[in-house]
Amino acid sequence: MALDRNWLLIFAVCVVLAILYPLFADGYQLTVIRDALIFGLFAASLDFFWGRTGILCFGHAAFFGIGGYIMALVTLNDAIPFASLLGVLGAVAGAAFVAAIIGYFLFFGGIRGSYFTIVTLAMGVICQQAAVSWSSVTGGDSGLIGIPPIAFDVGVTQVDLSQDLPSYIFVASIVAAVVLALWSISRGRWGTVLTAIQDNEVRAAALGHNAPLRLLITFVLSAAIAGLAGALYVCMAGLVAPDLSGLLLSTEVIVWVAVGGRGTLLGPVLGAILIQRAQQTISSFNPSLWPLLLGCVFVIIVFVLPDGILSIYARLKSLLRGRRRAQ
Amino acid sequence: MSDVLLQAENVGIRFGGLQALEALNLTVRDKELCCIIGPNGAGKSTFLNVLTGTLRPTSGSVRFLGHDIAGLPLHRIARLGIARKFQIPSIFPNLSVEDNLKVARWGVPSPGRPVRELLDLVALGDRAAALAGELAHGQKQWLEIGMALAIEPRLLLLDEPTAGMTPQETLATAEMLLRLKGEFSIVAVEHDIRFVRALNCETLVLHQGRRLRSGPFHDIETDEMVRDVYLGRR
Repeated sequence: MALDRNWLLIFAVCVVLAILYPLFADGYQLTVIRDALIFGLFAASLDFFWGRTGILCFGHAAFFGIGGYIMALVTLNDAIPFASLLGVLGAVAGAAFVAAIIGYFLFFGGIRGSYFTIVTLAMGVICQQAAVSWSSVTGGDSGLIGIPPIAFDVGVTQVDLSQDLPSYIFVASIVAAVVLALWSISRGRWGTVLTAIQDNEVRAAALGHNAPLRLLITFVLSAAIAGLAGALYVCMAGLVAPDLSGLLLSTEVIVWVAVGGRGTLLGPVLGAILIQRAQQTISSFNPSLWPLLLGCVFVIIVFVLPDGILSIYARLKSLLRGRRRAQ
Repeated sequence: MSDVLLQAENVGIRFGGLQALEALNLTVRDKELCCIIGPNGAGKSTFLNVLTGTLRPTSGSVRFLGHDIAGLPLHRIARLGIARKFQIPSIFPNLSVEDNLKVARWGVPSPGRPVRELLDLVALGDRAAALAGELAHGQKQWLEIGMALAIEPRLLLLDEPTAGMTPQETLATAEMLLRLKGEFSIVAVEHDIRFVRALNCETLVLHQGRRLRSGPFHDIETDEMVRDVYLGRR
């Protein structure tokens, strides 16, 4: 209960900060945070699966890329009406569909743990390779450019997200809503049973729980949100490239989740924003320094703060309490 | 014969060159309590695995309410009304005691007793909020019995429920089961004779995968052959 209250409190603080931010930031800074938030949504989608099931997907960028390419192909085709809306739906459905097929064979085939991680790693590599090779559709190495910003009608007014502020508000609201929704799913009955399956799958099955089905649905939901993040990103960036489904992004998203705190949903969003911020600052004076530092940060986090940055406060508190007791 | 719940007929199982079980028969009637005993390696756990459908016998059949259950997925077997307590305490260490029982209730469409009642039944009423991983060994065993009860079973199969318990805990467990007797059928696999004596029920003695004796515990206890096997004279 206390944990729930703390989470909601931190969530509320983040929402307030997100609302106040446009007052102090210029257009460029807004777009930087907006893009970071999209990657934060992507990180939250991985955390929803990894954090609750303990099974690591090492090819999550595949779903991000699938979402991105579907969105690009739909919105670049002039013949399709309501392109933005259909594109987002297609991106979400496409990522979910691929996850359902791969997940079905893995979960019902009894593949878990590192074996799952290895197979999803291969899946990510295959997706990136497909994006490079199928150049008649995907544009090959250079990808597709000129993707229009999201635009749709609400009643009589047209919402056009080509401007910085509206697009920031749009993205921030979606991220807040999705994170809140994922959190309420994962703290209730669904999440408790997932924790039980993570603890002891055979026991859970012997109590009547269909563990593979529950893992599959969680994985599909996670992939669908990754697809949504991919769709949002390509519209904001205006381009899609094979990198978006690549190994590097799959690795980065794992680092964001680990740094922010696995299983917290909010932590990964903050982790994504912080690390991208650091990346821009550091790359500006030495581009080759960044991958080195990123690796070091990851190793340090794993050893020093295995529960992520959100756990710093709790750690300090228990440290101080321990010291006081020692005196 | 309508009150027969579980019927194992002529069950045999072979692992490679090893005949682990041979020609075993067991009939469990509705609301009956029975024990399977035997020295280490007698095939008790293997037989229990066959009875729960997790191992498919190489000969013979196991029928629960007339259905062949061999090879069904675990969750389907649970939903038929077969609950099982594993030999090693199998609980969810990262959930609270209360959540462990809730997860158990959520597994089946129509769960039975409410969580509060389950907690009292397995003497964990004051540990509801504790993490299950932090319980003492005996309490973990009880929690798992509580979880098995939560699915409102027709048949409860217990694999060495008192393994690692103190003598007092063992007797408390026997009392717990005697209190539940008459609500559903219970099959307990044990090698702790004090526990089986306390239950004092129909008993099947296994030795090297075969039936050695079966009958009321009183007759079994006084049987010369059973004593020999338990003392390792044969």
